[in-house]
Amino acid sequence: MSVWEKLTAVPREVVMTLVVLAMIIPAIRPLGLPILTGDMSRAWYNTVEQLPEGSVVLFDIGYGSGGYPSLGPGNIAAFHQMFEKNLKLVIMATALEGTMMYPLIMEEVKPEENYGAVYGEDYVFLGYIAGEQTAMAGVLGDLKSLVSTDYQGTPISQLPLLENINGADDFALVAYLTTAGGVAEGWVYQAYSQYNKPLLGGCLSMMTTSIKPYYDSGQLLGLMDGIKGAADLEFLTGHPGDAIVSSDILSFTQTLVLVFIAIGNISFWMTRKTKEEES
Amino acid sequence: MVSTDAQIWIAAFFTIAATSYAFRDNVVFKFAENTFIGVAAGHAIVMGIKNIRDYGWNHLAQGEMIYIVVFILGILLYARFHDKYYWLYRYPIAFLVGNGVGISIRAAIHSDFVKQIAQTTSPLIAADAFGTINNIITFVGVITALSHFIFTREDIHTGTLGWIPRVGRWMMLLAFGASFGNTIMSRFGMYQGRIIFLLRDWLQIV
Repeated sequence: MSVWEKLTAVPREVVMTLVVLAMIIPAIRPLGLPILTGDMSRAWYNTVEQLPEGSVVLFDIGYGSGGYPSLGPGNIAAFHQMFEKNLKLVIMATALEGTMMYPLIMEEVKPEENYGAVYGEDYVFLGYIAGEQTAMAGVLGDLKSLVSTDYQGTPISQLPLLENINGADDFALVAYLTTAGGVAEGWVYQAYSQYNKPLLGGCLSMMTTSIKPYYDSGQLLGLMDGIKGAADLEFLTGHPGDAIVSSDILSFTQTLVLVFIAIGNISFWMTRKTKEEES
Repeated sequence: MVSTDAQIWIAAFFTIAATSYAFRDNVVFKFAENTFIGVAAGHAIVMGIKNIRDYGWNHLAQGEMIYIVVFILGILLYARFHDKYYWLYRYPIAFLVGNGVGISIRAAIHSDFVKQIAQTTSPLIAADAFGTINNIITFVGVITALSHFIFTREDIHTGTLGWIPRVGRWMMLLAFGASFGNTIMSRFGMYQGRIIFLLRDWLQIV
């Protein structure tokens, strides 16, 4: 077996070990590579900045534990910005595990401690609402006919923030972070197309190519592109977190992948060339 | 200094156990996999019951009798397990499909069709050079990729104009490449989150 043939069949254990090392090394010794913020994240940031103080934002935590490493840091940065701007947050979850992500996020944001926010007055959590687009249509159409209590079971009549909120007309902005393509499109259909509400979206990087046309066509005012978008938002909001730490790791690991792709292609062509010459 | 928090140790164990599959299938991975399925199923059941209570029973208890229909439709979903009356499950399914399509179809046509066509047919010259290049790429990509799917005339693919669908195919391959690259970044983005957790929260060396 020639060297080229060996390179086309590197054992996956070797590849994985190199990938893990490529993640550990920059985590222990950060490279400090500069963060170049993207248009989509800046658009997200600027949209929130332009909202008047006291505006009500409907925010969907549409991801679970699998999506948390990618979307959680961006969610934390987004909440920091919104609480700093004194915006009111009506939070819901279209993902079953979104209810488990909510406390993780709030442990980091600490709205009461950091911003003096009060639950029920400045933000509420409605919990998981099943049905994806049906849930979105319900919340935007007639919130109070759909939801009678918050996640903890408190009647919405006892939550001052929801007193004057009945549906889409009462939200200044709708924002979501999701790992589900149906949810990402669903909010565009229901919030933008149906009610013409300003809409911000966030999704895993692997979904960006299919969701970006909504941003390009002006249906999404901003788009958070996975961990890269989260790092941008942490940078823009001045709340560095896991995503900025991740930037070096991702750059280092992606470079390794490029090297693997180059080695794989070169060795493939060289192997084929050698076989052609032999025959 | 390694963490002394039991929760962190449990999370660290399952992180390592789950990722051990990347090296080889093993019993520790199987344990982590089964535990996750069990926990997720348990959580889903609890949330399902909570949903029935919050979005069904609470309304019924407040005297909104229309919710009886909702409960009947929900129960009928289970008719499919009955040998004789299995056909009854078609009614709630028909309701679900009709409701879902009705809610989304108008907006889908607007968002996925009208707005996208409007965006594609916007002026090619933008405010800056990059915008213009983007518009040209989008325009050429859409036209050529669409031509690739014209199957009614063979000469479109073989004749003088055969280069147009070939360009479309390259455009699609570029899109698949971009999608694949983003997928890699997304997967690494998930995994590096766990690496940071192991190094910072568990081993506490960063």
